[in-house]
Amino acid sequence: MNMKVPLAAIVPVCLTLCGAQGGLPARAADSPETAMSAPPPTGFVTRAEFDELRAEVDATKATARATLPGTSEFNLAGYGSAGLVYQENEGDRLFYATFNPLFLWKLSDRLLFEGELEFELEGDETDTALEQAHLAYLLDDYVTADAGKFLNPMDAFVERFHMAWVNHLPDKPLAVYDGLLPESIVGAQLRGGVPVGPAQVTYAVFAGNAPALVTDTNADPGTLSFDNFSNPDGHFVYGGHIGFLPVPALEVGYGLMAGNVAPSGGDDVSALMQSVDFNGVLDSTVLSGMVRLNAQWVWSRLGTFNYGVDAFDNNRDGGYAQIAYRPTKWGIPALGKFEPVYRYDVLEQKDTPTGTNERRNTVGLNYWLTAMTVVKAAYQLDSTDGGVDHNAVLVQFATGF
Amino acid sequence: MQIKNVLIQSSLAAVVVALVGVGYASMAGTPGTADANPDGEKIWAQTCNRCHNVRSPNTYTDAQWDVALMHMRVRANLTAEQYRLILDYLKTHN
Ligand code: HEC
Repeated sequence: MNMKVPLAAIVPVCLTLCGAQGGLPARAADSPETAMSAPPPTGFVTRAEFDELRAEVDATKATARATLPGTSEFNLAGYGSAGLVYQENEGDRLFYATFNPLFLWKLSDRLLFEGELEFELEGDETDTALEQAHLAYLLDDYVTADAGKFLNPMDAFVERFHMAWVNHLPDKPLAVYDGLLPESIVGAQLRGGVPVGPAQVTYAVFAGNAPALVTDTNADPGTLSFDNFSNPDGHFVYGGHIGFLPVPALEVGYGLMAGNVAPSGGDDVSALMQSVDFNGVLDSTVLSGMVRLNAQWVWSRLGTFNYGVDAFDNNRDGGYAQIAYRPTKWGIPALGKFEPVYRYDVLEQKDTPTGTNERRNTVGLNYWLTAMTVVKAAYQLDSTDGGVDHNAVLVQFATGF
Repeated sequence: MQIKNVLIQSSLAAVVVALVGVGYASMAGTPGTADANPDGEKIWAQTCNRCHNVRSPNTYTDAQWDVALMHMRVRANLTAEQYRLILDYLKTHN
């Protein structure tokens, strides 16, 4: 390993020198005064050629140096938000603020560390969490190995769209976030992208700690607890995601995750979670603007377990479809900063002890101050079969940095 | 019964996704990355706008783009070629 680095640094320098010298002899004889001390095999170089060569060597050296471990580059990124939730029927009524600093270290040309903290002030509580902490290594052009705590690769919304400045509504859709799938996986993954003719395929496969089945009859039995960091039951989950991009602006994906979620000592309880997702943007002159389409549907199937309540099929489904439009091509720049949004989201778990089917229609209007800063306002119509309807007004100010 | 529902729902979802995908691709009319000589700006504009608004190249230095684009290479599963072309475009336009 130690030997490889100096070699990697020296080889390009030699190649540059040899390559450049090969091209020199023709005009070299014109300027004997610029001759180097050792007699060149085929002639002389001019001052200009020498300087050019020098610059090239310096540039190559700098590139080589950048590949050495220890010459890391660092970015502080992340996002923050502030907002208001006002739900009818005795629901939540509160202001909140969140701050998610994202620490990115590029340790070499192949190694990236990503760590994210979350600070969330909701009501009178401040929650702190380690959202991500993982180290990615680019094995080659098509495969990246990654390990640690990373966002769940089989849940497109979680991995790519939940961040306050990326999400186009003040709140997050049912089922796909804080619902049927874990937000992060503690484990390892391999991932990458491969061109296939004019299209592209993306993939991720992972293994990690399994979620834990909630068996306490007072705590929504049959659901899953995803904060299973100590993994006392010793079970693992395996899964992955595959995406197909007919054009770079559109990805259609399928994700799956399976494992045993039984409490320790008990019979196996299988868990199978599947997800399909569709995410794309259409920047179109015909539509005089930019349309964003996002949709995802999740199926969760858990095996039977004797909770001490009436037996039930532990099947839960849900997802969302969302459309957002920015009138950027009407020739009125001020208009292009507005963005109406509509989302429909669902979570069906009526036949489980949770006992509800929830459906929501949300309309929103965003105003983009910059590419990464937005003010969002929305009205949500909620219909909960088996529970209380909480129509809501939602306002949020969000920025990415 | 449940399994049948799942199957029906999955097939419906698959059909909808396929139909919308085909319609979408024909509407967008973009040739993908097949260009014999793909240019960085086009790939940047198409690829980097999919998940979030694009940030102008001049808001970051070369060193910041190095880190951000490596981050995106991992997060967005960029192909190695997209990564190189986009990084080159960003660093020559900031
Ligand atoms: C698959 C979806 C996706 C695509 C495609 C994508 N991004 Fe991102 N990008 C994200 C997400 C998600 C974040 C927020 C990361 C976080 O906070 O965890 C982000 C964050 C960023 C940031 C903020 C700084 C940082 O590193 O977090 C920049 C800059 C950025 N992306 C640039 C780009 C560029 C340039 C491209 C085109 C190569 C691109 N993105 C393509 C999903 C994507």
